[in-house]
Amino acid sequence: MTAATLAMQSAPRVVLQYRDVRKLYGDFVALSGVSMEVERGQVVCLIGPSGSGKSTLLRCTNALESLDGGELLFDGIPLPKDAASIRKVRQRMGMVFQNFELFPHKTAIQNIMMGPKTVLGLSEQESRARAEALLVKVGLSDKPENYPANLSGGQQQRVAIARALAMEPEVMLFDEPTSALDPETIGEVLNVMKALADDGMTMVVVTHEMTFARRVADHVVVFESGRILEQGPPTQIFDAPQQARTRDFLGHLGWDA
Amino acid sequence: MEFNFDPVLQSWRFLLDGLRVTLILSGGVALCSFIFGTLVGLARRYGPEWLRVILVFYIDSMRAIPVLVVLVWVYFALPAITGWNLPPFWSALFALSFHLAAYVAEVIRAGIESVRPGQVRAGLALGMSGPQIVRMIVLPQAIVRMMPAFGSLLSLAIKDTAIAAVIAVPELMRRADAVAGQSYAPVEVFSTVMIIYFLIIFPVTRAVDMVYKRIAFLGRS
Amino acid sequence: MNLDWSIIPASAGALARGALITIALTVLTMTIAVPCGIGVAMLRESKFRPVAFLATCFVELFRNLPIILVVYWAFYVMPVVFGIAFSPFITGLVALSLNNTAYNSETFRSGIKSIRKGQTEAALALGMSEGQAFRQIVLPQAWRRVLPVLATTWVTLFKDTSLVSVIAVGDLAHTAMQIRSQSFRVIEMLTAMAAIYWLLGYPQAKIADWIHKKFGVTE
Repeated sequence: MTAATLAMQSAPRVVLQYRDVRKLYGDFVALSGVSMEVERGQVVCLIGPSGSGKSTLLRCTNALESLDGGELLFDGIPLPKDAASIRKVRQRMGMVFQNFELFPHKTAIQNIMMGPKTVLGLSEQESRARAEALLVKVGLSDKPENYPANLSGGQQQRVAIARALAMEPEVMLFDEPTSALDPETIGEVLNVMKALADDGMTMVVVTHEMTFARRVADHVVVFESGRILEQGPPTQIFDAPQQARTRDFLGHLGWDA
Repeated sequence: MEFNFDPVLQSWRFLLDGLRVTLILSGGVALCSFIFGTLVGLARRYGPEWLRVILVFYIDSMRAIPVLVVLVWVYFALPAITGWNLPPFWSALFALSFHLAAYVAEVIRAGIESVRPGQVRAGLALGMSGPQIVRMIVLPQAIVRMMPAFGSLLSLAIKDTAIAAVIAVPELMRRADAVAGQSYAPVEVFSTVMIIYFLIIFPVTRAVDMVYKRIAFLGRS
Repeated sequence: MNLDWSIIPASAGALARGALITIALTVLTMTIAVPCGIGVAMLRESKFRPVAFLATCFVELFRNLPIILVVYWAFYVMPVVFGIAFSPFITGLVALSLNNTAYNSETFRSGIKSIRKGQTEAALALGMSEGQAFRQIVLPQAWRRVLPVLATTWVTLFKDTSLVSVIAVGDLAHTAMQIRSQSFRVIEMLTAMAAIYWLLGYPQAKIADWIHKKFGVTE
C-alpha cells in the first residue's frame, strides 16, 4: 500500500461533489443541473443513452471541459481556474479514454513512464521501476518494449490504465473504457478494473457494461438528456428501478429488471 | 517615406489592359492544361505500357524543369528548330499549359487511385463493364476528391502568367514593370499590382474551398 | 540549323557556378522558411486575437501572389524600407523565404491539426502543461505527416529559384541566358539549361516520391 493510499484513508469521506452542474455547447444543453457525490473508495458507474451527458460530466471533473454553471468540488475545494492549479488537480486524478489514446511514438513502458518523468520529475530509474510494477499489475510484464501498434485493443487499454495509475491518483475516471474493444478482450480490462476497485480505488466509470456495473459498482447514476434520472445502489437500479424510463432504458439493452 | 501614386493612377488604363491579358491567358492556360492533363492522366492510368513510359517521363520532367525554362525554350529555341514563329501570347499559352498539364495529370492519377478498390469490385459484382465502372463509379468520386488540388492548380495557372512577362507578353506583370521603369515610382506601382493579383487569386482559392466543403461528402466511400 | 554544342563544355565552369548558386538558394531558403513556418503556424493559433489575425493575413497574402512579382517587389521595396542597398542574392532569398514561410506554416498547421484531439487530452489528463503536450506528444507525431509535404515544397522551391534570375542573381537560369545572349547559341544553351535543371531536379523529385511512400499516412 502506498503512502498516498494511507494518507487517503484518514482523509474526508466525500471526494467529489457535483452541485447543480451545467454545461452548454452553443444552444445544446449537455448538462442541465447535475448534483451527486462520490465517496472515497466508492465505485460509481454512470449509465444512460448516448448523448445523455455522462461523458461530459466526466470531462468536467478533470477540467477538460469548463463548467457553465454550478460547482464541482474536489476534496471540498472548487476546481481552480488557472492553468497551473488545474494541472496540479489533474495530477491527482487519472483518466482512461475510450480510444485508449496511447502515444503511438512511445513504447508501452515509455507511455507509462510519461507522467512520472515529465510531470512529477522523477528520475529515469524511479519512473521505470514504477512502470514495471504497474505492468505486472495489469498483466503485461512481458510487453514493455512493444509499440501500441503491436498490441491488441485490450492490451492497449490495460497499458492506458497503468499509465494513469503511474501518477498515483486519488480518483480514477473511466470514459467508456471497453466500448472500442472486441468482445474477447473486454473481460481482461474489466478484470483489471475490478482488481483496482477491490484495492479501494475511488472510481467514476461511464460504461455500457451493465453486468460490470451490477457486480462492482457501489452506486449507480442513470443519466438522461443532461440530467440524472435516478441514482442509487445497483440492487435498486437493476432489480427494482423507481423510474419507468430507467426500466425502459435497461429493457432496450436486453436487461430484465 | 513619401508615396506618390500618381503614376499608377495615370496609367490605370494601361494596367487594366494588362489585367485583361492576364485573365485571358490564365483562363486559356487553365482550360488547355486541364484538358491535356486529364487525357494524359487517364492514358497513364489505363493506357498501354509503352505510352505509360513516355507519359511518366514527360510528367517527371515537368516536375524537374522550371516553368521559366520551358517558357524561354518554347519562345526562343522552338522557332529556331521548327521555323514556326509563335507570337509571345501563344508561346506562353502553349508553354504554361504544357508545364501545368503534368501536374493536372498527377492530380488525376492520385484522385483515381484514392477511390477504394472495393468500389470497383462492387461494380464488377453488379456485372458492369470496365469503362462503365470508370465512368460511373470511379471518376465521379475521384473528381470530388481532386477538387482542392484542382483549386490550387487553378491559382497556380494565374500566378504562372506573371512569368510570361519575361517574353514580353503584355500582361499585368510586364505592364507594371514598364510603368515602374518610366515613372520612378516602383514601390507604389508594384505594391498596387500586388494587391490586384491578390484580389484575383484569393477569391479563386476561397471559392474552390467553399464548393469543396459543400460536395465533399459525395466523394467519401 | 547549324548547331555548335562546344559552347557547353566551354562554359561548364560558369554553369557549374550558376548551379551552385541555385542549390545554395534552395538550401538557405528552406533553412529560413522551416523554422519561420513553424513560428508563423504557432502565431496563427495564438490566443491573442490581433496576433493570430496578422499571422493569417501574412500567410494568405504570400500564398496568393506570383513569386516573380514578390521578387520584383522585394527588389524595389527593401532598399526604400531599410535605407541600404541589398545584393540581388539577398533580395531573392528574402522573396523566396517570405513565400515559402507562408506555405510551410500552412503545412505545419494542417499537420498539427491532423493529430487527434484525444492525444492532447490524454497528455493533459496526466497533468502535462499545454506546452509539454504540444512538444512531446503532438509535434513528434506531426513531423511524420509534415515531411512528405515539405519534400514536395522543396522540389517546387528548387524550380522557383529560377525566377530570381530576373533581378540578375547569378543562378543557373541567369547564367545560361547570359551565355546565350553573348554567344548567340540559342538552341544549345537553352537546351543545356533545361537538361541541367532536369539532371538536378529529377533525382530530387524521386527522393520526394520515396519520402511520400515511406512516411505517407494511410488512415
